[in-house]
Amino acid sequence: MAPLIVPLVKIGLLVFALLTAAAYLVLLERWIAAWVQDRKGPNRVGIPLTSIKLFGLGQPLADGLKFIFKEEYTPAHVDKALYTLAPITILAAALAIFAVIPIGSVLPLDLPGTDGPIKLVVAPGVDVGMIYVFALSSIAVYGVILGGWASNNKYSFLGGLRSSAQLIAYEIPLGLGILGVVISTGSLRLENIIFEQAQSGVWNSFTQPLGLVVFVVASFAEAARLPFDLPECEQELIGGYHTEYSGMRLLLFLIAEFLHMVVAAFLIVILFFGGWHFWGMPVPADDIISWSVAGLRILVLIAKVLAVILFFMLIRWSWPRFRFDQLMNLAWKVMLPLGLVNLMAVAAVVEYQHAREIEDLSTNAWLPVGIGWGVAIVAWIVAALFAPLHTDNRPRLDVLQPPAFEPNSLRSK
Amino acid sequence: MQQDPKWVFYYDLLCDKIHKVRIFGREPLMEQAVLPLFLFAVCATAVAVAMVRVGSLVGPHKAGRVKEMPYESGMDPIHDARRRFDVRFYLVAIAFLVFDVELLFLYPWAVASRNPQGIDRAVAEQWVASRGLVFFEVLSFVLLLAAGFVYAWRKGVFRWR
Repeated sequence: MAPLIVPLVKIGLLVFALLTAAAYLVLLERWIAAWVQDRKGPNRVGIPLTSIKLFGLGQPLADGLKFIFKEEYTPAHVDKALYTLAPITILAAALAIFAVIPIGSVLPLDLPGTDGPIKLVVAPGVDVGMIYVFALSSIAVYGVILGGWASNNKYSFLGGLRSSAQLIAYEIPLGLGILGVVISTGSLRLENIIFEQAQSGVWNSFTQPLGLVVFVVASFAEAARLPFDLPECEQELIGGYHTEYSGMRLLLFLIAEFLHMVVAAFLIVILFFGGWHFWGMPVPADDIISWSVAGLRILVLIAKVLAVILFFMLIRWSWPRFRFDQLMNLAWKVMLPLGLVNLMAVAAVVEYQHAREIEDLSTNAWLPVGIGWGVAIVAWIVAALFAPLHTDNRPRLDVLQPPAFEPNSLRSK
Repeated sequence: MQQDPKWVFYYDLLCDKIHKVRIFGREPLMEQAVLPLFLFAVCATAVAVAMVRVGSLVGPHKAGRVKEMPYESGMDPIHDARRRFDVRFYLVAIAFLVFDVELLFLYPWAVASRNPQGIDRAVAEQWVASRGLVFFEVLSFVLLLAAGFVYAWRKGVFRWR
């Protein structure tokens, strides 16, 4: 029983923090929306029965209560088992991804029954951490397509189809972006990926800017954020795969959506922006860490993640949605070749460094950084000149000139 | 530890005898690492199920004939939603399968490229001739992948109109 206590405490804290964070990210998003559109956002709900408003900080609690007390209706035409299974699948998978994501590095606590400092990750030392993240983020596709199929509604069905196509199409650039980092690190463990960057002081975004672009675009699409929110576009599909959902089941979908964004932000920070590392911070080994350094690492990591989430939200209010053919063209004809180019460039640099026996990246960073940026700029220019994104923008003649309406043709039948 | 039945099963039987996979290091099983993963999966599922249960217990329940209908912006639904759909979705699924599996083949090489227990050890123990040969093999693999990609592009697999 003893070895179960530490993981259970970590899981409890993490799940509570994540659900709270998802609720407050909704508030943050509405504040940012209000700020971008020059209006006042939610600023009324504070402490009930008083006139204390607290800038609207009570809004997520009020929203949560409202969701709980709303009627949860299961329409007659749905497939009942799958209809309930879909939100459970998507939320459980979104939560379970966090099992291998480090929130900081370690805490120098010496509890009885544990060996060494407490690692700030639920499952420390999983050798296949990155593959685990990849696998569980693929399960989100099941939630979406089950929801769309079980709803037995044309909007939901179209939304489920579209989003399954989108999610699987963008999984390939996602994997290619990760592969570049894995090659230059030699490990799939997220803690090792951070530590490698912290030791050399050269973040992966400096040496692999092209990989960063591919990964960020793919993670926007995987999190179904604008400009890639075709799975749930409100104006066209009335919510897409969750049109028929209400009450807590809808809330589960919405929480999972925000958790996907948090996961994407964590992965971008950990893989490409050095995780808890910032220049000037000491990088001691994990077992001689002090409380101040441990706390600072958590703060730096959370600050970086919040910055990336802010970026996600600002993009949401500044970009229009892609059309579906543009989305598919971007995935297959632009991002996949760019990812392959990045992969081979990184591999070539690693081979060159190995042949020259350059092991310490902190003093010899100019070559990989230069090659990385050179490849990125050349590839970006080529993509901008030849990418087939806008070739399909010409108007469709068959829509502009519909066949002439002949009333007699109807009457004759 | 050699006599641990799990150790014998995973490493001696599965890896050495059946799959003929060479294991570096011979570490003990990852159960310390894997147990929290299963715990977390169980807890996450429990949280999701509990939330759905709470919602269905607390909220009101009022049935109605209009509520039973699928919501299609006020139109009466004409037929069942599960109809035939565009074949291009299947094409995307097949293309995804091809490229994703090929990506998975690249992961072991990616991990081994800078790991001291990876290609360097293989070269030192003379299981492969040199690092350059490995790089050349991977390069030709990716070029094959690219050839398939160009073929699919020319065939119009990625065309959406």
